[in-house]
Amino acid sequence: MNASVRLSVSSLRAHQRRFAGTFLAVFLGVAFLAGTLVMGDTLRASFDSMFGSATSGTDAVVRSAGAITTPGESQGVRRPVDADLSETVAQVPGVAAAEPSIEGAGQLLGANGDPIGGQGPPTVAGNWISDPELNPYELAEGRAPERSGEVVVNRGTAELGGLKIGDTTTLRTPDPVEVRIVGLATFGGADGMAQVTFTGMTRADAEKYLTARPGEAASILVRAGPGVGERELVERLTPVLPKGVEAITGQESAQENTDMISSQFLSIFTTFLLVFSGVALLVATFSIHNTFAIVVAQRTRENALLRALGASRRQVTASTLVEAGAVAVTASAAGLAGGIGIAAGLQALFPAIGFPFPEGDLVISGLSMLLPLAVGIVVCLGSALLPAVRAGRTAPLAALRETAVDSSGASRARAVTGAALAALALALTLTGVLVSPSVWLAGGGAVLALVSFVVLGPVASSTAVRFLGGPLDRLRGVTGGLARRNALRSPKRTAATASALMIGVAVVSLFTVFGASLKATMDQTVSRSFAGDVAISTPSLGGGGSGLSPALAEAIGRLPEVDTAVGLGSGVAEVAGQGRALTVTDPVALGRTFDLGQVRGSLDALGTDGIAITENEADQQGLATGDKVRLAFTDGATETFTVRAVYGQSELAGDYVITRAAWAPHRIQDSDRLVAVTFRDGVGADAGKAAVERAAARYGNPDVQTRDEYAQSSAGGIDMMLTLVYALLALAVLIALLGIANTLTLAIHERTRELGLLRAVGQTRPQLRAMVRWESVLVAAFGTAGGLGLGAFLGWVLVTASDGASDSAFAFAVPPLQLAVVALVGLAAGALAGLRPARRAARLDVLRAIATE
Amino acid sequence: MTVVTTASRTAARVQDAVKVYGSGDTAVRALDGVSVGFPAGRFTAIMGPSGSGKSTLMHCAAGLDTLTSGAAYIGDTDLGALDDRRLTLLRRDRIGFVFQAFNLVPTLTVAENITLPLDLAGSRGDAEWIDALVDVVGLRDRLHHRPAELSGGQQQRVAVARAFAGRPDVVFADEPTGNLDSRSGEEVLGLLGRAVRQMERTVVMVTHDPVAAAHADEVVFLADGRLVDRMESPTADKVLDRLKAFEVPS
Repeated sequence: MNASVRLSVSSLRAHQRRFAGTFLAVFLGVAFLAGTLVMGDTLRASFDSMFGSATSGTDAVVRSAGAITTPGESQGVRRPVDADLSETVAQVPGVAAAEPSIEGAGQLLGANGDPIGGQGPPTVAGNWISDPELNPYELAEGRAPERSGEVVVNRGTAELGGLKIGDTTTLRTPDPVEVRIVGLATFGGADGMAQVTFTGMTRADAEKYLTARPGEAASILVRAGPGVGERELVERLTPVLPKGVEAITGQESAQENTDMISSQFLSIFTTFLLVFSGVALLVATFSIHNTFAIVVAQRTRENALLRALGASRRQVTASTLVEAGAVAVTASAAGLAGGIGIAAGLQALFPAIGFPFPEGDLVISGLSMLLPLAVGIVVCLGSALLPAVRAGRTAPLAALRETAVDSSGASRARAVTGAALAALALALTLTGVLVSPSVWLAGGGAVLALVSFVVLGPVASSTAVRFLGGPLDRLRGVTGGLARRNALRSPKRTAATASALMIGVAVVSLFTVFGASLKATMDQTVSRSFAGDVAISTPSLGGGGSGLSPALAEAIGRLPEVDTAVGLGSGVAEVAGQGRALTVTDPVALGRTFDLGQVRGSLDALGTDGIAITENEADQQGLATGDKVRLAFTDGATETFTVRAVYGQSELAGDYVITRAAWAPHRIQDSDRLVAVTFRDGVGADAGKAAVERAAARYGNPDVQTRDEYAQSSAGGIDMMLTLVYALLALAVLIALLGIANTLTLAIHERTRELGLLRAVGQTRPQLRAMVRWESVLVAAFGTAGGLGLGAFLGWVLVTASDGASDSAFAFAVPPLQLAVVALVGLAAGALAGLRPARRAARLDVLRAIATE
Repeated sequence: MTVVTTASRTAARVQDAVKVYGSGDTAVRALDGVSVGFPAGRFTAIMGPSGSGKSTLMHCAAGLDTLTSGAAYIGDTDLGALDDRRLTLLRRDRIGFVFQAFNLVPTLTVAENITLPLDLAGSRGDAEWIDALVDVVGLRDRLHHRPAELSGGQQQRVAVARAFAGRPDVVFADEPTGNLDSRSGEEVLGLLGRAVRQMERTVVMVTHDPVAAAHADEVVFLADGRLVDRMESPTADKVLDRLKAFEVPS
């Protein structure tokens, strides 16, 4: 065995405990990364197989060729086809069966009267396709719907809503329809397609409730006869199809569906997790670097002896690196196993939280194993590189000196470099945010700001710890004073330890500030634009829910308490070749319940050929009142509209407004996304709300919200998101804490004699423990304070940059309460990290400590 | 005669002290039935060759280590009856220490090191007494320095001041001059002697240096874990002769 390797092995064996922290940091980071990749692959594969088996009976899909896609939506709206086309298709030789598929939004109410799902994944209703091979859903229990009002629902939805065969409930389409469940269905062997809810009705019901005009279908599913391939089937179908209608193979259709899920859900899910494992690994880098730096410093005499005995620099450096490599490889390998364990655990957990997950083996690809392994090893070796080089530079004479603990303060060069970096970062960000808005400049500045914080850490740590620890002397007497001075002993080490926590806290605060700003923005938007008394809205998150019945606004408008009730429906059309969302409403009432800012022209008489546009869009398209604009609808029709009004604020009303009468000929499934209500003068808020609630009860019982509640519910998704982010960041914070604990343990090892002396002259064990804990808290406080400052700054950058990049105004808000909680958690975490080192220090044998040479 | 009246009291003593390290074949009897008292107001030196058990005796008498059998007393307090917490408090309040090296906490200033045991106890101490001590050890101009800025001799003088700061019943010094040059060592020993004679303190010092032992009022000799002799009013030559006498039979 090579001498360097032999040295590393013996050193590792002797100091296993020292590397426990490093091992754990790498292990956690790699496990998280590997778990994410395996989970992503497994989900993708299981969706593939689910769709594959669900749609295996469909050999071709006939649908209209073009789709209108509005910004921010990936799927697009496709024009319906004539349902009777299925009969024409059925006549084509080689076709065994053809059935129209009618699809729309339909949300079931559960046994307790609350809507099922709708918080993200779509809530789908459609016709129950009678041909079992064409139907992607499979009847598991009961029977198919035969009479009007009978439905089949997927089993997952039924379980979620506490519904069973024979139950009667309401389906919001969005008009409430009384339905009776006669069967339960499965999708590709699972209880549903992820968390999508599905309700299958008779074809007549589907046409009646889900389409604007009976006789329309979303697509026609075709099954080939024996001996006819998919490609061949498509070729035979194409000639009989009308213009604008296309046929694609069943395989292509399934692929489109899985791609859609991949891009909409899986990619976001995995990217999100990967970002957080990146943060965790970045934090780990600091902890690992620190451990090796301390170990090398403690081993100065040993390394110097080796050098004196003739070991070359390279041999000493190599032995440290080999040590790091050994830790890296074992920890990464263990991390891979841990990652697979995490994925397996999640696979077991998913069904328990109501997320249907088809049984199947975990998909463990080469990439999802090699990448985390490589990342783990690179992170660990990279972090140990500088300390290893420093070990090699040990002068042979150092063997004769006292063990040198690096207590040097920050160098002037560091202070100058750090200050220059910070100034550059500030200049870049401010330019990118305020002068010429650019995300790249702002982003680059933000990264530089982070780097400058890390570089300046040792410069700032002395002052910061002295300041933060100031009250300790008074509060905790000599124990606190000693803790403070111990934290000051090695500014570099304190800074490196705190940096890990700083990054974690900075990301937490960034999200906290950004979330609070988003909420404030929503709040501001509602209070600025919404002039009504109460609002009825559908969930703001994702494509779920079924919207509100268009009849709701009318019914509420007739109440004696109500002055105006206006429903906002959604439509799509292509304006100048680009898909755009339209707001379909009564423009006169809209003007009364929403503050549209300055209006040029008039909203009073849009009629069937008039349109109102926001100032922003008008500027972009070069339009002014009186101009003509062509709108292409999903039904293929193109009409010319006259711009009759240009209004200032778009936040709630949308960018384009047309009347219901203008939309009627082109409408899809009717639904409103928001109904805004103003009361008559003299009607009390409670009385008015109660009256509206009574009226709304007949329309599937949607939530009636006051202005404040409406603003809060608009921000509800943000809280959910933040909770998830916090949960994921817990890992990074945990790694940072391991780093603090590890550094302290090593420091205690260094201070054995001093601790022994303190004990000898009368420091009690509780006092000694308190001293170590307070040191830990101080280091954590330094990291937390830096993280809060950096996070708040980055949050401000992000908010201001978003403000510059979008046309709606962004509010910047610093939530004092949440940030105080973050600070407290940081401090508490510090105390927690100090527990074990403190216990170990207190266990120290006084005599051995004084006798140590 | 004050010397006689205080001498009638013992500040610290051990009774039938036995200390065994290890067990079975590797067991070492560091103390093998030692009974000795250290009179209050006296400067006692413990001498003996390496491995004679002199350090162990001091550690056990001072409550830093526990006896395998026998008893150790500080005044009338039986150390064996105390748990770790009370033993710590006893060390803090009633005992002072001067070690061979590493006597001072590097992060604290000279002044803070001197009052460390008092600060740990949360007591303010006797300001006049501490002030007088600072003058005796001659460190008034160094009070706000860190230990690293002092010479070895100065550091030991700070340790001496710390040991006496709380007016302990007894100060134990473990080779206090072991790491010093002879002039600095002389200063430290002079300080210990003056503390006993002028300030009526009690000092027990472990040393292997006959010159150091000559500063004491009395020397007790240990060999192979047993008390072998006592000598009043020692001089360096007498002590050296006595030590040589041990070496002949062994």
